[in-house]
Amino acid sequence: MNNITLNKNLKPASEVEPVLKVRDLNVAFNIPRGQAKILEGVNFDLFPKEILALVGETGSGKSVTARSLLNLIPGRSGETKGQVLFAENDLLLMSDKELQRIRGNRISMVFQNPQSSINPVFTLGEQIFRLIRLYLSAAVEDLKQKTHCSQKQAIETIAKEKLNEVGLTDIKRTLKLYANEISGGMAQRYRIAMALISSPEILIADEATSALDVTVQAHILKLMKDLCKNKQTAILFITHDLGIAAQICDRVAVMYAGRIVEIAETKKIFANPLHPYTKGLLKAVPKLGKNEPLSFVPGIIPDLVNPPVGCRFHRRCDHIMNICRKQKPESLKFEDNHNVSCFLYKQNHKENRHE
Amino acid sequence: MFHVFYTNKITKKTDMNNPLIKLEQVNTWFPNNKSILGKPKFWIKAVSDVNLNIIEGECLGLVGESGCGKSTLGRTILRLAPLYSGRIEFMGEDIGQLDGKVLKPYRARMQMVFQDPKASLNPKMTIFKVLSEALHLNSSVAKENYLEQAVKLLDLVDLRPEHIFRYPHEFSGGQQQRICIARALATNPKFIVFDEATSALDVSVQAQVISLMKNLQKKLNLTYLFISHDLSIIEHVCSRVAVMYAGQIIEVQDAGSLFDTPRHPYTKALKNAVPIADPESRKELGILKGEVPKLSDPPSGCHFHPRCDYKKDICSKKNPIVYKIDENSWVRCHFQEELWQQGVLINSKESL
Amino acid sequence: MKENPMAMQTDSYDIMAQKVIQEHRKVKWFQLRRLLKRKAAFLSLIILVLALVAVLFAPWIAPYPEQGQGAVNLEHRLQAPSPSYFLGTDVYGRDMLSRVIWGGRISLFGGVCIVFFAALIGVPLGLWAGYNEGISGAVISRVVELFLSFPSTLIAMAISILIGAGWFTAIIALIIPWWPWYTRLVQGEVLSIKQTLYVEAAQMLGYGKLYIIFRHLLPNIMTPVLVMILLDLGPAIIAIGLLSFIGLGTQPPMADWGLMVWEGAPNILSEWWISIVPGCAMFMVVIAFNIFGDALKDIFDSKG
Repeated sequence: MNNITLNKNLKPASEVEPVLKVRDLNVAFNIPRGQAKILEGVNFDLFPKEILALVGETGSGKSVTARSLLNLIPGRSGETKGQVLFAENDLLLMSDKELQRIRGNRISMVFQNPQSSINPVFTLGEQIFRLIRLYLSAAVEDLKQKTHCSQKQAIETIAKEKLNEVGLTDIKRTLKLYANEISGGMAQRYRIAMALISSPEILIADEATSALDVTVQAHILKLMKDLCKNKQTAILFITHDLGIAAQICDRVAVMYAGRIVEIAETKKIFANPLHPYTKGLLKAVPKLGKNEPLSFVPGIIPDLVNPPVGCRFHRRCDHIMNICRKQKPESLKFEDNHNVSCFLYKQNHKENRHE
Repeated sequence: MFHVFYTNKITKKTDMNNPLIKLEQVNTWFPNNKSILGKPKFWIKAVSDVNLNIIEGECLGLVGESGCGKSTLGRTILRLAPLYSGRIEFMGEDIGQLDGKVLKPYRARMQMVFQDPKASLNPKMTIFKVLSEALHLNSSVAKENYLEQAVKLLDLVDLRPEHIFRYPHEFSGGQQQRICIARALATNPKFIVFDEATSALDVSVQAQVISLMKNLQKKLNLTYLFISHDLSIIEHVCSRVAVMYAGQIIEVQDAGSLFDTPRHPYTKALKNAVPIADPESRKELGILKGEVPKLSDPPSGCHFHPRCDYKKDICSKKNPIVYKIDENSWVRCHFQEELWQQGVLINSKESL
Repeated sequence: MKENPMAMQTDSYDIMAQKVIQEHRKVKWFQLRRLLKRKAAFLSLIILVLALVAVLFAPWIAPYPEQGQGAVNLEHRLQAPSPSYFLGTDVYGRDMLSRVIWGGRISLFGGVCIVFFAALIGVPLGLWAGYNEGISGAVISRVVELFLSFPSTLIAMAISILIGAGWFTAIIALIIPWWPWYTRLVQGEVLSIKQTLYVEAAQMLGYGKLYIIFRHLLPNIMTPVLVMILLDLGPAIIAIGLLSFIGLGTQPPMADWGLMVWEGAPNILSEWWISIVPGCAMFMVVIAFNIFGDALKDIFDSKG
C-alpha cells in the first residue's frame, strides 16, 4: 500500500528536470604510494522529491562522492574533475565563498556521528537560534509584527516549531542542553532540524543512521521519508545497509570501487539485479523472515592506486569475458529507469534491438 | 492457528538438565561515584537477574539495543566483568567465584571474539606472536610446535600461512577478524562468545566470516554465544535467541519461531523496526516511543512498561515472572498469555 | 580436554612452517633498509655517529688535548680561525676545536644520562600508576604532581646546592625533577591503551598484570617515549649548560657546550666564534636527534 503511493510520486525521468546532475565525476587523492583513483566517471541524476540511495561497501567511494559534490574533502591533495550541475551552475567551478552560500543553505548534509557534529560548547538553543537568524530573518520579522513579540521570542517560537517537526519532545528543556547531554537519536533529529532550517532543495545523508539503534533508526528513517514527501526535498541517502535502501528509497545506485555499476528503481534492482556485483551483494545480505543461505563474492576491493584495467570488478566476476579486461564498461540502459555498466548486457542489448 | 505454531516449535530434543553453561540469578553491577570510604553512591545494574542455559553445540543469539547489557553479560560469563551476585556454571562447575590461577584452565575453554578486530590485535605484535600468546594456554601444544600450530590455525580460518610474521595493520578488516577467530581457537575452546563480531564488517565480508564461523562450529564441535544488535544476522546464524532489554532477558525462543511469533511486546517492536532488504516486504517501520532507560535507575516492575503499548497497572508494580513456553523457550511478561490469545503480537504484518 | 581437533596433518604444516621462516628473514632486513633510505635520517645518523666518535676518541682527535681539558695558552688569545687554530681560540688562548670536542664529552654524556635515567625511572612508574588505579597508583600520581608543581630548574638548583657543585652532581640534580614528565606521559598513554580490546583479550587468556604491562602496554607506549627522549636531549644539554653558567655545574677550567656559549657571550660582537662554535655543535646534535627521532617515529607508526 505504502509502496504504491511512493512509486506514484516517482515521475519518469524525462518529465522532471533533475535538481542535481553529476556528470563524469573523477576524484583522485595523492597518497605516498601514488595517485589513488577514488572515483572514476560517476554519473547520476537526483530528481526532486526522491530518495536516492547510494549503496556500496567500505572503499567504494560513496562517501567521497557525497563530499566532493560540495567540495568538502579536507586536508587532501588531489584532483577533482567532471561536472556537478546544480541550478545550472557547476559546483566544482565555484569559489569557496560561492559554495558557502550553497552549503547548509540550498544543499544540507547530515553525518554519521550526530553528537560529534554538534558544537559541544554552545547549547542546542544557541546554535539553532543563530541559524534561524541567518536564514529565516524574514519569517522572524513577520512573526514579530503579527504577534508583537520581541525578536528573541519570535526566534524561539520558530525554533520550537522546527524541532517539533522532527519529532523532538520537551523542547523547552532540550534547547538548554549541550551536545553531550542528549542521546544519539535526539542528536540526529536535532541535526536534521538544523539542516532543514534553510529549506534546502537537497539533503545529503551520509550514513546518517548507521550509529543508531534499530528502533531509533526507524524514527529517523520515517522522518526522512515524510520530509521528502511533505517538503519536496530530494535526499541522497548514502548507506551500506541495503535494508534501508529497500525500505525507504525510490531509486538505488550501487557503487563498486569508485564507479556506479548499476542504478535503478528500488523494486527493479532488488527483483532483477543485473550486474554480477549487485547480485553478489544482494545474496550476502541476510533478510529477516527469510532464512535463505548467504553467499558472498570472494576476493577483496581492488587497490585504487593500480586499479584493474577495464571493468574494476572483473577479477572477482564469475562471468568474465575478454573484453572486461580491456575496456571500461559504459552505462547501458537496460530498460526504463534501469542502467547497468556491464558488458554482459551489451550483447543482449544489441540483440534486443535487432529483433 | 497458533496451536500449529506451538507444536512446530519443539524441533529437537536437547539435554536441558545438562547445559554447557548455566546462569542462575546473575547480576553484574558496577559501582559508580565512589565516596571517600569506598561506598558506591549508586550501582549501574548492567545485568540483573539473568537465568539462562546455553546448550552444548548450539549457537545462542543474544540480541538487544546498545546499552542493554548484552556485552556485559557476555563478559560476565567469561569472568571479564565482575560478578555481583549469582551463579555461573560451566560444565557443571561453579566458576563464578574462581579467580587467578584456578580460573586459568577455564579461560582456555571459553574464548571471545570482539567487535573491532583492529583494536583487538596489538599493533606491535606479529600474527605469530598473537597466536603463540594464546597457544601458551593450550597445554596440549609444546613450545617448539607453536609455529606449526599457528600455521595450522591460519589454515583453519582460510588465511595464507605465509603472512604469519606480518603485523595486523597489513590485513583487511575481514582478515583481522579471522585472525581473532584463530586466536580464540588456539586455546582449544569449547565455548566462544562473539561480541558483535561481524558488525564492523561489510556485508560480503560479513557473509564470509559467518560461513567460516558456521563451518568451524561443525568441524570443532563448538558452542557459540552470538551477541548482536542486528536481528537479521541473529536469525541467520543462531538456533536459539535471547532478547535482552535494560539488563534483563525478556524472551528466549528458537530463532525460527521468535521472529514469526514474538511473545514479548518489545521483541515485536524490535522486529518491526528492522529494515528488511527486500522492497516487496516494504512496511511502515514500527516506531517505539520513549527512550532506553538508564541502567542506574531502571523502571520498577517490568523494565519495559514505560514504553509498552499493552501496559496495565501491575506492570509498574510487580516484576513479571518467567512464563515457560516449552523446554527451551520462555518469556517474561505479565500479560503474555492474554496477548497471545488476542494474537496482537504475531499478526503485525497484517496490521499495516 | 581430551580431543584436540588440531592434531592432524602434521607433516604438511611442518613444511609450511619452514617456508614461512625463510620468508620472514627477508622481511626483517627490509624494515631496517627502509629507515636508512630516508636521506635526512641517514644524514642525522652520520652526524650523531661523528659526534659520538669525536667525543669518545677525544684525546686522539683533538689537536690540542690538554687545551681541551683547560690548559691556558695566553700567547694566542682571541685568535680568529686559522690553519693552526681551525676554529679560533678563546679568551685564554685555548683551541676552540679541542674545547668543543672535550666539552661535547660532558654535554653529550650528561644529556644522554639525564634523559636515559629519567626515562628509566619515569616509564615503569608511569606504567604501574596507569595500570593500577589503587593506592600505589594514587601515591605515584601525587608525587608526580608535587614535582611538576615546582619549576624544574629551581629543584635542580636546590639539589645541586645540597649535594655540591660539579658536572656529575649536576646530572643527578637534573634527573630528579626530570623523571616525573615521563611518568605523566606514560600514565596518560596507558590509561587509553589499557581499555583497548587487545588488553582485554590478553586478560581473557589469563595473563597477569606484569605480563600485560611489559608485553602489551610497553611496546605501544615506546613510540611517544622514544620521541620524547630524542626531543629532550636538546633541553637536557642546555640545562647542564645553565647550571654550569650559574656555577653549579661543570667547573672551569673544564667546560661543556652550554658553559662555552655563556663564556663567549660578552665578546659575541667582536670574537663571535667563541659562542657560535659550541652553539653550532649543540644545534647540529639537537637537530640530528630530532630528525632521527622523527624518522624513527614514522617507521614505528607505519608498523602499527
